[in-house]
Amino acid sequence: MFKIFRRLWQVNWAEQWQYRANLIMYLLYWLVSPIIYLAVWTSIAQSKGSVNGLTPNDFVTYYMTLLVVDQITSNIVIHTFAYKVQDGSLSGELVRPIHPMLTNALVNNIAFKALTIMGFIPVWIVLFFLYKPDFSSVTFSGILLALPATMMGFLVGFLLSAAITSLAFWTTRVYSIHEFYFALMLLFSGQFVPLTLMPKLIQDIAQYLPFQLLIYYPIQLILGKLSSTQIVQGYVTGITWLVIAILVFNWVWRNGVKRYSAVGA
Amino acid sequence: MNVLKLLSAFLKVNIQMSLAYRADTVVNILLNLMWLGWELLSLGIIFSNTDTIGGWGFGELIALLGVFRLVHTLMIALIWPNTEKFNQSIRDGSMDYTLLQPVNSMFLVTFSRITVWRAWDLILAAILIVIGVNMAGDTTTLLSVLTFILLTVSGTIVIYSLWIVLIALTFWFTKFDNNVTILQALLDAGRYPVTVYPVWLRILVTFIIPIAVATTVPLQALRGDLNLSRVLMFLVIGLASFLVASQVWKRGLKQYSGASS
Repeated sequence: MFKIFRRLWQVNWAEQWQYRANLIMYLLYWLVSPIIYLAVWTSIAQSKGSVNGLTPNDFVTYYMTLLVVDQITSNIVIHTFAYKVQDGSLSGELVRPIHPMLTNALVNNIAFKALTIMGFIPVWIVLFFLYKPDFSSVTFSGILLALPATMMGFLVGFLLSAAITSLAFWTTRVYSIHEFYFALMLLFSGQFVPLTLMPKLIQDIAQYLPFQLLIYYPIQLILGKLSSTQIVQGYVTGITWLVIAILVFNWVWRNGVKRYSAVGA
Repeated sequence: MNVLKLLSAFLKVNIQMSLAYRADTVVNILLNLMWLGWELLSLGIIFSNTDTIGGWGFGELIALLGVFRLVHTLMIALIWPNTEKFNQSIRDGSMDYTLLQPVNSMFLVTFSRITVWRAWDLILAAILIVIGVNMAGDTTTLLSVLTFILLTVSGTIVIYSLWIVLIALTFWFTKFDNNVTILQALLDAGRYPVTVYPVWLRILVTFIIPIAVATTVPLQALRGDLNLSRVLMFLVIGLASFLVASQVWKRGLKQYSGASS
C-alpha cells in the first residue's frame, strides 16, 4: 500500500509541477478575498477602536491564520475529478484495483497543496511584515490541539466535496451544485468574517454544520480563543461529521459507479 | 461592413445557442440571485457593525455593488467566453479564418461570443445603482449623474483595453493561456471603495490592474469627490488606454504566424 501511495505521489507531483504557472494564478485568485476582507475589517475596527470587542489586531491575526488553515483544509476535487466522469476518462482508473477518489484524487490534492504552499509562504511573510500582527495569544498547546482538528477539517471537507463531485454520475450540473455548496461555505464557515459577527441565527445554525470545522474552529483553536468545553464540543461535532461524511461519500460513490456507463461505451 | 449589423448578427447567433440550454439558463439565474442575496447579506453584516466604511455609507455601497456588477457582467458575459474561444483559436490555428474576414479582427475576437442571459444582470445592476443612490441621499445633480455615466463607460473601456492587451500577449507567448486570470482574481477588490485598502493594494487596483477606475471612481464622481480636472484625467485615461490597446493588438497580429507553421 505504501508503495502505491509513493508511486501516486511521484506521478501527481510531476503532473502538478508541470502546471506551476497555473498554480501561481490559482494562488493569487485564492489569496485576494481574505486579504480584501482583512483590509475592510481592520479599517472598520481602526475607525471605531473595536468591532463587537474585536480589535484591529484580532482581525489581522484571524485572517492571517485563516490563510494558513484554509490552505490546508480546502480541496480542488471538483475541478480535477468531475470532468473525468463526464468525458469518460475515469474508465481507465476504475479498472485499477485502487479507489480512484481515495487514492489518486486524494494524493493529487495533497501534491497540489504542497506546491501552492511553496508559493504561499513568501506571500504570508510579506503580509506579516506589512501588518505586524501580535500573535501572543498563540500557545504551543493550542497548535497541538489544532493540528488534529485541521486534519479532521480537511478530511470532512474532502469527503463532502468528493460526495458532491460524485453527483457527476447523475447530472452534468454538478458544478452548479458545487457553487451552492461553496455559498453555504461562505455563509457558515467564518470565511467572510469571524462567526461572532454574524447574525445570531447564522451562528446558531453554523455550530451544528460541518463548514466551521474547515475554517473557524481550527482558527479559534490556534488563536487560543476557546474554552475547554468549546474545544470538546468542536471535536465531538467534528468526529460526528467525519462519520457522516464517510457514510455519505461511500453511499454516493457506490451507487454512482453502478450508474456509470462511460462515454463511448 | 456596419458594426451594428454585425453585432446584432452575433447576438442572434448567441441567443440561438443559449436556447439550446434553457434549463441551464434557469439554474444560472437562480445561482445569480443567490449570489446577489449573499452580497446584500454581507453588506448588511458589515453595516450592522459600523455606520461607514472608508467614509462611505450603506446606500453608497449598494450603488457600488451595482457598478461592480456591471464590470462583473462584462467579465462573465464577454471576456470569459471570448477569451476561451480566442485561446482555442491560437492553439488550433483557427485564428487564420478570423483574420481572413474583412472586418476589424479585434472587434471579431472580442464580440463574437456573448452570454446573452447576462443582460438580466445589467438590469439588476441598474436597479441597485438607483436604489443605492436614493438611499445614500447624496445631492445628485444632472451634471454629477452625467459624469457618473461617462466615467462608468470610460472605466469599462479601461478594463476592456486591459483585456485586449492581456490576450494580445498570447501572440508573443503562445502558452500564456492564463491570460485573464489576474483580472478575474483582482476583480473582487472592486466590491469595496478603494479608500479602505492599504496603500499597496490601492495602487495595485488603481494603476496596475485598474479595477477601481471602473468601480470606485464613477461613484466618487456621483458623491462629488472629484473635481473637474480629475474627471477629465480619467476620461483621457479611458481614451488613451483604448488607443494603446489597439496598437498592441496590431503589433501582436504581426507576431502571429499560425499554429501549423
